[in-house]
Amino acid sequence: MSSGDIQSHAYEVSDTAEAIEFYYEKGWTDGLPVIPPTDASVRAMLDAGGLEPGQEIAFIENRQVSVTAEKVAINAVMAGCKPDYMPVVAAAIEAIGDPQYGYHGPAASTGGSAVFMLVNGPIARELDINCGDNLFGPGWRANATIGRAVRLIMRNAIGTLPGKLDRSTLGHPGKYTYCIAENEAESPWPPVHVERGFRPEQNAVTVFAALAPHQIGNQLSNTAAGVLTTMADSMRISGSVTGQPQYAVVIAGEHMRVIADDGWSKADIKRFLFDHTHNSIAHLKRTHRMPGAVLPEDETAMRPLVQAPEDIIVIAAGSRAGVFSAFIPGWGGKNASQSVTKEIRRP
Amino acid sequence: MEKQIRVFDPTITPKEQALRYAPRPTSLQGKKVGLVENTKYNSDTLLLKIGKILQAEYGVQGMLLRRKRSSGVPAHEEIIRDILAECDVVIAGVGD
Repeated sequence: MSSGDIQSHAYEVSDTAEAIEFYYEKGWTDGLPVIPPTDASVRAMLDAGGLEPGQEIAFIENRQVSVTAEKVAINAVMAGCKPDYMPVVAAAIEAIGDPQYGYHGPAASTGGSAVFMLVNGPIARELDINCGDNLFGPGWRANATIGRAVRLIMRNAIGTLPGKLDRSTLGHPGKYTYCIAENEAESPWPPVHVERGFRPEQNAVTVFAALAPHQIGNQLSNTAAGVLTTMADSMRISGSVTGQPQYAVVIAGEHMRVIADDGWSKADIKRFLFDHTHNSIAHLKRTHRMPGAVLPEDETAMRPLVQAPEDIIVIAAGSRAGVFSAFIPGWGGKNASQSVTKEIRRP
Repeated sequence: MEKQIRVFDPTITPKEQALRYAPRPTSLQGKKVGLVENTKYNSDTLLLKIGKILQAEYGVQGMLLRRKRSSGVPAHEEIIRDILAECDVVIAGVGD
């Protein structure tokens, strides 16, 4: 059990309803009601994470903010997390504090990204993190509250307030929560954390500064190349286009089987999508995505959507039924923010 | 009604930092100006124009333009090193 004192200022209220209104008045919610964080609930969260209250989970350089375990725990309670979710939330916060993620850019930018979270390993099934039906929709406590906890920590602990240090022009609904698992049980491919050097039995979370998911449909093709040609055509002009961010591609059940039946690996998918998402400089100039007059050589000069095939993260997830998959453009460019995977550690 | 529940503050007050401005030169006469460009379209044009005005009207002797890796990140070490070594003043800002 955690033995250290909780240092956060405590307020006294008469009941839960008053507490909920009090958190609204203080500006400490995402617009939805929060669960009041009491001594017992915060302590249970810390214990489930094997963390002491004052332990630093992340240091956000630009804000000069040390995010401690007790603030992670308080916000996780507020978001509605079960204590068992705490190790996932803590690992995600550690990940957004990694310099490779570059917190300041995606958190503050007018470009308006959310923290997309992918959970891999046995913990995803133990916590019932949805990887199937209605993947990005509501209905699963773990998906709804883990992502919400991360956003509340960004808001309350790191000061990422809309209109202040979060200057998003539009934002998107993933900023409420944006957490999924990979369908490792049915996937024909190695999961993302294994691609990144973890063992299958390890648990890991990948964070990715991301725009909204874009659904693509292909109900005609029974070949990998056919399905992915549709995907590539939709991806080619998307996101920041010329910024070369990373991308996530979510392949759902029917497409997963079609692609796997052709014997394609994740590396084959990445290579095909990389090769088929180049834009001509002429097109980028004509559509005012690049500056300057169109020169004759621009017609054949091609610019890839991402810097390398490895910048496309391939995830097997979504319902078994339906001929839909999705791509998720990253925020800005890879030079400013990259996806980061951290191990989820449990006591 | 008697107060019955204790609930916690979820916020953090950032660490206070002691910041101070570098000493300002009294004149730009004969000084070299560093220009930090943030990669966004036209930001170099704007900075160079400012630099030329400083040369024509304030006696600035030279300019050093350096480009960040991305608008979303701080100036990297080589930029800081070059500017410290060569420049007397620096202009940085968001071109967008």
